[in-house]
Amino acid sequence: MSDIEALYPFLYSRSTDLDAVMTSVRESTVEKVDEIVTLRRTVLERDGERIAACAEAMAGAFAAGARLFAFGNGGSSTDAQDVATLFMNPGFTNTGFMNTGGTARPLPAFALTADIAVVTALANDIGFEVVFARQLAASAFAGDIALGLSTSGNSRNLIAAFEEADRRGMLTVGLAGYGGGQMAELGTIDHLFVVPSASVHRIQEAQTTIYHALWELTQQALIRSEAGDSDDGA
Amino acid sequence: MDQAVLARVPEVFARRVGPALGLADEADVVARACHAMATRFHGGGRLIVFGNGEAATDAQHISVEFVHPVIVGKRALPSFSLTSDVATITGVAATAGLEEVFAHQLRRLAAPQDIALGISSDGGCVNVLRGLETAHRLGLLTLALTGGDDGGPIGRSPAVDHVLIARSADPRVVKEVHVTTYHILWELVHVFFEQPGVLDPRVLP
Repeated sequence: MSDIEALYPFLYSRSTDLDAVMTSVRESTVEKVDEIVTLRRTVLERDGERIAACAEAMAGAFAAGARLFAFGNGGSSTDAQDVATLFMNPGFTNTGFMNTGGTARPLPAFALTADIAVVTALANDIGFEVVFARQLAASAFAGDIALGLSTSGNSRNLIAAFEEADRRGMLTVGLAGYGGGQMAELGTIDHLFVVPSASVHRIQEAQTTIYHALWELTQQALIRSEAGDSDDGA
Repeated sequence: MDQAVLARVPEVFARRVGPALGLADEADVVARACHAMATRFHGGGRLIVFGNGEAATDAQHISVEFVHPVIVGKRALPSFSLTSDVATITGVAATAGLEEVFAHQLRRLAAPQDIALGISSDGGCVNVLRGLETAHRLGLLTLALTGGDDGGPIGRSPAVDHVLIARSADPRVVKEVHVTTYHILWELVHVFFEQPGVLDPRVLP
């Protein structure tokens, strides 16, 4: 032991601990990256065709004048707001469908979590389970799109919103995790994507990919049908 | 079904794989950033997060991640985003300009022991850069999640202590790498907390 180590032994023992922790967290990052890459591959294999079908249905709805309403709680509320702003204001982009010669269309979309006055009024006066359903009842028309995100699939206010959306004849899109929870049991969601993972984090990461894919493919389908290129035989 | 739309799906998913795997190459940067963040939290710091557009939703996601952990038993850590106060954002934007919205809030709300985390998918957001520069001058730890080849002006700024770059030109792919990155940052900050002996600021990796 050097003089300095003898003076400050705690510094050196902590340095050793730190090396071990640093090594383990580096390994943890690599493991989590592998998990999400594998999970996305599973989603593609299970739901790739259904994602394309959902995007075509959304494109058809937008072409007929639909607006999109997105909703979720907690981290999923930020995804709902991301969905809304992505459709509303895609901005300049140099990838994906741009290769086919199109440009991204701004499309009408709202996040039902953005208006704190409405959300807190409904929650305070009636209950948190109605905060999305009541907004759909007030603002949505038949043919509009309801897109709800949950990792558990069990959020009561999402279930109430999907029930209201079904009553109103909306096109319904659900993103869930685990086994799909009550969102899967409803049986009324037109396009339900269940990310088969037990990790909330990996579920959210795969859901982000799904709604990005839905957006990009919706744009592509709109561009192709406007150009008369669609080969769906309709 | 339009076969051209269907045919595109595998390409959409394939475009994500390389940038996602690229995060594994940044494992050392991630580890150092987590250690620095944990040290700041240990010293009473708070995490302040900001970004524009889609990244504004990531800012809110990060703050809720730390304040309300999804894993039972993990301690709540103080965090807030600068994107939720629409009155202040539009007020500052209308008078001083959108470039000042985050710097203005940081000057009033931040303490020197805090952490500033700015998000910009191409590293070019002027208000995020100004926020990080202001935070650096105030003594905060500064981190950035950016994208593109070199992280843009934010990635090259000497005011940013830790830069994590998602290597894609597609802003949606960059966002997805960012989501994984901040989930990992949250989880690994807690790993350091479980080893309090490694949080002495004199011990640097």
